Amino acid sequence: MMTLRLQVIIGICLIIALAAITNMIRKRKLELKYALSWLIAIVFVLILDCFPIFLTKLSGFLGIWAPVNMIFFLGFCFSLLIIFVLTVTLSRMSERVRKLSQAVALNEEKIELLLKEQKQGEGPEFARDSEALMSEKQ
Amino acid sequence: MKSIVLIPAYNEEKSIETTVADIRENAPGFDYVIINDCSADETLKICEKEGLHVLNLPINLGIGGAVQTGYLYAYKNGYDYAVQFDGDGQHDAKYLGKMQEYMEQNKLDMLIGSRFIEKEGFQSSGLRRFGIRYFSALIKLLTGTRITDPTSGMRMVNRDVIKLYADSYPKDYPEPESAVAIINQGKTIGEYPVIMRERSEGVSSISPVRSVYYMIKVTLAILVEMLRK
Repeated sequence: MMTLRLQVIIGICLIIALAAITNMIRKRKLELKYALSWLIAIVFVLILDCFPIFLTKLSGFLGIWAPVNMIFFLGFCFSLLIIFVLTVTLSRMSERVRKLSQAVALNEEKIELLLKEQKQGEGPEFARDSEALMSEKQ
Repeated sequence: MKSIVLIPAYNEEKSIETTVADIRENAPGFDYVIINDCSADETLKICEKEGLHVLNLPINLGIGGAVQTGYLYAYKNGYDYAVQFDGDGQHDAKYLGKMQEYMEQNKLDMLIGSRFIEKEGFQSSGLRRFGIRYFSALIKLLTGTRITDPTSGMRMVNRDVIKLYADSYPKDYPEPESAVAIINQGKTIGEYPVIMRERSEGVSSISPVRSVYYMIKVTLAILVEMLRK
């Protein structure tokens, strides 16, 4: 069995973490989508902490002697999972940033080309039309 | 036939003008585009002042991302041939016309400018040559294709490969991996003997410290590429 003291300490830590994360979501510093896995992990561990009977049963089932080790083990597994998900997200992000900046570079070149053509008076359709209108008015 | 030279440039302020002058003079049939990979020096300013044709990346993507921007440009603008060409003065534009002829005659999808066919000119340092031989052997073993200079940055490709590379291109140290990728797609690769100079300016993207990481990363990348087949 876990000591009551440890149970309380772990419980307080978890509740503080839960409050901090919720507050950050509230202030829009953290996206709910990415914080969700943290919230689920914390709530899950909190339940085990409050009702150690589940913990004892689970650790007995897995062959872990001290139930408190079960908490550490679970926390470790959750952390690894979350870190891995982050790595996947990071890969996707960097792919998107790459595509975005390539599109920016290509568009910039197009704009430069249009501006240059416009300056030379043989610009694109819309520019010529407006220039013609201007000179007609004069 | 529309052909374009893709010049990835990162901090090449001292050599970019002469590179473009070389292409204009010695490869008259080729358009060119510089891909400025967010250089920290005056590369962009020089390009703008001299009116050079430049694609300006807002953030530094690394060599792979920069080169791919060039392929994307070539694909969108309907080019039939695109050739990678270093902006640091290593490569010689007089080969480009001949390379394209050779590609057309032999119906190749990619033609690599190789330093090691006639073994003339700058042959790279000993350790680097060892690495190049290693990749050459690895590619031969896995794909059966012999490439004497798999890390050469002077590579000409046709429209099919332009499209493939515009879609996906490795991020860093891309040359060996991207060659294997198109071999696995059933494309043919040939080599053309060229003489390269020792880079006149700038530093190689591969510092000696990183060479171990380079070997491991590229080996894994090639193996993964074989799994994609």
